[in-house]
Amino acid sequence: MVVLKSLPPPSEGVRLQQAETTAVLGGKRLGSGTLFVAEAHLSWFDGSGMGFCLEYPSISLHAISRDLSSFPEEHLYVMVNAKLDDEGDAEQQDKAPDDSLEDDEESDSDSEGSRTITEIRFVPSDKSALEPMFSAMCECQALHPDPEDADTDDDDYEGEEYDVEEAEQEQGHGDIPTFYTYEEGLSHLTSEGQATLDRLEGMLAQSVAQQYHMAGVRTDEPSTAFEDGMEVDSSSIAGQFDDADVDH
Amino acid sequence: MEVSHSIRERTIAENSLVILLQGLHGQVTTVDLRDESTARGRVINVDAFMNIRLEKVLYRDRRGRMSSMDDLFVTGRNVRYVHIPDHINIRETIESQLAKIHRVRNFGAGGGRKEYSKKK
Repeated sequence: MVVLKSLPPPSEGVRLQQAETTAVLGGKRLGSGTLFVAEAHLSWFDGSGMGFCLEYPSISLHAISRDLSSFPEEHLYVMVNAKLDDEGDAEQQDKAPDDSLEDDEESDSDSEGSRTITEIRFVPSDKSALEPMFSAMCECQALHPDPEDADTDDDDYEGEEYDVEEAEQEQGHGDIPTFYTYEEGLSHLTSEGQATLDRLEGMLAQSVAQQYHMAGVRTDEPSTAFEDGMEVDSSSIAGQFDDADVDH
Repeated sequence: MEVSHSIRERTIAENSLVILLQGLHGQVTTVDLRDESTARGRVINVDAFMNIRLEKVLYRDRRGRMSSMDDLFVTGRNVRYVHIPDHINIRETIESQLAKIHRVRNFGAGGGRKEYSKKK
């Protein structure tokens, strides 16, 4: 027997609220109440404020069932990968069960972990609400990707997609990921590159002596300061920046 | 079908075989779940986390009882297999999904410098 607990209804992130919704938990009707589809949890409360709350990661699937041969009313079917313990909270079965009393043979916390499931049916009196209820749950589920899935590691993927616009803002020449600032660049110069740099600097020194430190030679300023592609850069020898500039 | 608006989801899809599943939008297929139940229906959407939404589903639970569901959403974590229909050319599906992502990437950012877009 499931003992409901008195919980406050969610106050924020509520995507949908459906009153006059009967909850059927593992075959047992709990009476009419209100379903809250919130971004943090899915919860349901009856008229006296008693209810239960589900975490999205514990929900395996949800569906709209209009098949009256399997259940006499159209409803939202929710399969929870957990057992509702005495406190009215669904504890996810895959975690190490500590105070969950029911799982003796169910305590294998391997990746199967789905021996114990709880079926919940939410039966709204307004059947046209089923689709919004379903959609709201889909949206909230998408907010809770599987934390155990190594492939969805944020660190690997944030910023890995090469976004042209983003790179341009950072470096000023979006096509060329190997652009260096002055200090970095010097450390990457080969001896040949250094010779080229010296030669160019010499040429500039002869032509425009006063502007020696400004024209063409990279200063400590970031490269975005040189909007005009006509600046003589030693790197332009390699033709790297030929078509990088729109301002021609 | 439509490519996700999220850079993160596009990147995940581009780097995994979920991109193949995303190419199955509109196909009728069977999804085997972790608990050994199965759901057969038309693929409405597959996101980068392999959450799958099906419509007009014939659902067989792990005890073999059949029921039909109008709309079904299964979380990626609980998917064991997705059956690829026999008529699907896997390589072409993957390539066309990648092409869609690349088109979105080149034009979706907006702003200037379109003349240096990578799309040839």
